[in-house]
Amino acid sequence: MAPSTTVSQRKKIKRKAPRGFLKRVFKRQKPHLRLETSGDLLVHLNCLLFVQRLAEESRMSAFENKCGVIKKEHVQAAAKVILKKSRG
Amino acid sequence: MAEAMADSYSQDSEPTTRTLLRRVLDTADTRTPQRRRSAGIGAQKSLLETPSSRRLSSSTKTNARRRSQRARSIGRLAHVQTSGHLEEQTPRTLLKNILLTAPESSIMMPESVVKPVPTPQVVQSSRQESIRGSLELQLPELEPPTTLALGLLAPGRRKRKLRLSVFQQGIDQGLPLSQEPCGNTSASSLTSSLNLTFATPLQPQSVHRPGLARRPPTRRAVDVGAFLQDLQDTSLALASPGNSLRTPVATLPTDTVLEDTQPFSQPLVGHSPSVYHSLPCLSYTEAKDAEKAVSHRTQRSGPKLQNHSPVKPAQLLAGKSKKVDALAMSFPNTSSAIAGEDEVEPLQGGVGENAEERMEESLSVSEVKDTTGTQGSVRTDKSDRNETSEAVEAKEPEGSSGDENISGRTASPELASSTTEFLQARQLQFLESAPPPSTAILSSEPLEPLPTRLPPRARTLGPRPRQDPHKTGLNHYVKLFSFYAKMPMEKKALEMVEKCLDKYFQHLCDDLEVFAAHAGRKTVRPEDLELLMRRQGLVNDQVSLHVLVERHLPLEYRQLLIPCAFSGNTVFPAQ
Repeated sequence: MAPSTTVSQRKKIKRKAPRGFLKRVFKRQKPHLRLETSGDLLVHLNCLLFVQRLAEESRMSAFENKCGVIKKEHVQAAAKVILKKSRG
Repeated sequence: MAEAMADSYSQDSEPTTRTLLRRVLDTADTRTPQRRRSAGIGAQKSLLETPSSRRLSSSTKTNARRRSQRARSIGRLAHVQTSGHLEEQTPRTLLKNILLTAPESSIMMPESVVKPVPTPQVVQSSRQESIRGSLELQLPELEPPTTLALGLLAPGRRKRKLRLSVFQQGIDQGLPLSQEPCGNTSASSLTSSLNLTFATPLQPQSVHRPGLARRPPTRRAVDVGAFLQDLQDTSLALASPGNSLRTPVATLPTDTVLEDTQPFSQPLVGHSPSVYHSLPCLSYTEAKDAEKAVSHRTQRSGPKLQNHSPVKPAQLLAGKSKKVDALAMSFPNTSSAIAGEDEVEPLQGGVGENAEERMEESLSVSEVKDTTGTQGSVRTDKSDRNETSEAVEAKEPEGSSGDENISGRTASPELASSTTEFLQARQLQFLESAPPPSTAILSSEPLEPLPTRLPPRARTLGPRPRQDPHKTGLNHYVKLFSFYAKMPMEKKALEMVEKCLDKYFQHLCDDLEVFAAHAGRKTVRPEDLELLMRRQGLVNDQVSLHVLVERHLPLEYRQLLIPCAFSGNTVFPAQ
């Protein structure tokens, strides 16, 4: 398994996908389109991976700045990179 | 002297080793062995010691203890005597010395016996006599290994068994049991046979140990007869002062209702004692009335009390305002009629059990405000309602207090159809739950149905923001972000993450739209998603979508996404 799944969880992380939320978001954005049921879960998977990459990148930028706390600037810099990558 | 002491010893215990040895001494011929003192003494002593010590050790600790107690005191004397007798070394003298000094040797040998001896000494000194007889009879049966085993095995067990014997004594004498009662079985086994089975005592102990057992909640049994007596006594007493009590009670809650926003208002500090007096009296009245279907109600009251108790403070504030308005508007007869209607409605709703009680309370309060002359009619109405409310019980202490108000008012045992269980529950929770709040509640009880629990909270929720569900959904992913980051983050950073997520979702939807349109479809299908992930670089020839699904999604989702063959030649999900 990937290392991300084996990380010890101090706080409880919900592994459930907010399917209603995702459907609503999609409907709001593209009301003329429909989303299949399974597609919902894949969208969630996509979000998970995106968030993972974003977090990893933020950590890296925080380390580079020798900062023990992730700050807004780190997240911004990381988001730039990752969003660019996530463009289909 | 030694012989006298020996005689005294023998008299105390008849069939003891001592007596046996004494007989041996008496019957045996006196010889003068010509041996060296030290060797003779040592050899004979050792020879004689072993059987005597064996026998002594085989006997229970009690014997050893008793002898030890005496032997210690006398041992020194015996030593002196033995030293004096060294000149005439005969078996007889040796035996005599052994008899005198036997306890010492027996003490020395089984040390394990000695250890538990001092601890239970105090307790078991009394029971030695009773046990000795039964135990000593079996002395010859025992074998030394068993005795050694006894000594070596957990001394705690001995303690337990010893205590059990004490327990037995206590039972015989009718003394209260202070120690573990589990020793019954082991005590019996002890006395019956010295073949101690060390396995058994554990089980009964665990079974009979009161500390381990789950105690049922202690409920004070309500003595109906006493209650009825008190009811009659106090009802009359309440009749006159009841009005004076009620009026201040009524006024205060209204004030507090309007002003106090705390869940537990304490307006009736001054009146609390008076209320206390009235409440127990009322409880008595209720007990009187609550003679029917006691068991039926207890069941309902039990869970309900628990349910309603947390709800109570929440509902107080909500209902108070309503009640106050209703009270201000209503007047005795009309108000009672209206209240009756209101009561009926919640009754029908099934939720108004407490509401009805509270209505009654509120009615009572309103009536108090009015002239006392109307009270009679109200009382009758209330009694009617009480009759009807029998089926519906207010399990909360509020309800009970409401009943108390009503019953207190009527000053007659007729009212309050609440059951004795009310009293029980009330007694249990009454003192625990702040009586002042209950009295404050008396004036106005919330009419709202119980399911609406939290709204009365003092917090002002305000208008529900439109973004709220959107935010909560995003927060889910923000939490995941903070989890994956494994580092402390600033709040601003989290807000930044939210913005990023918004942007990401926009991009996502656009891409999916493009892909679906490219495929000539209007619905986005999983193939579009896979294409998106491939373009993002998450899925490539080495890593397939299924692998990612397996890695990151929980099992339930994986079942939905990845086609799997099932029995009956079916594949789910269908491709």
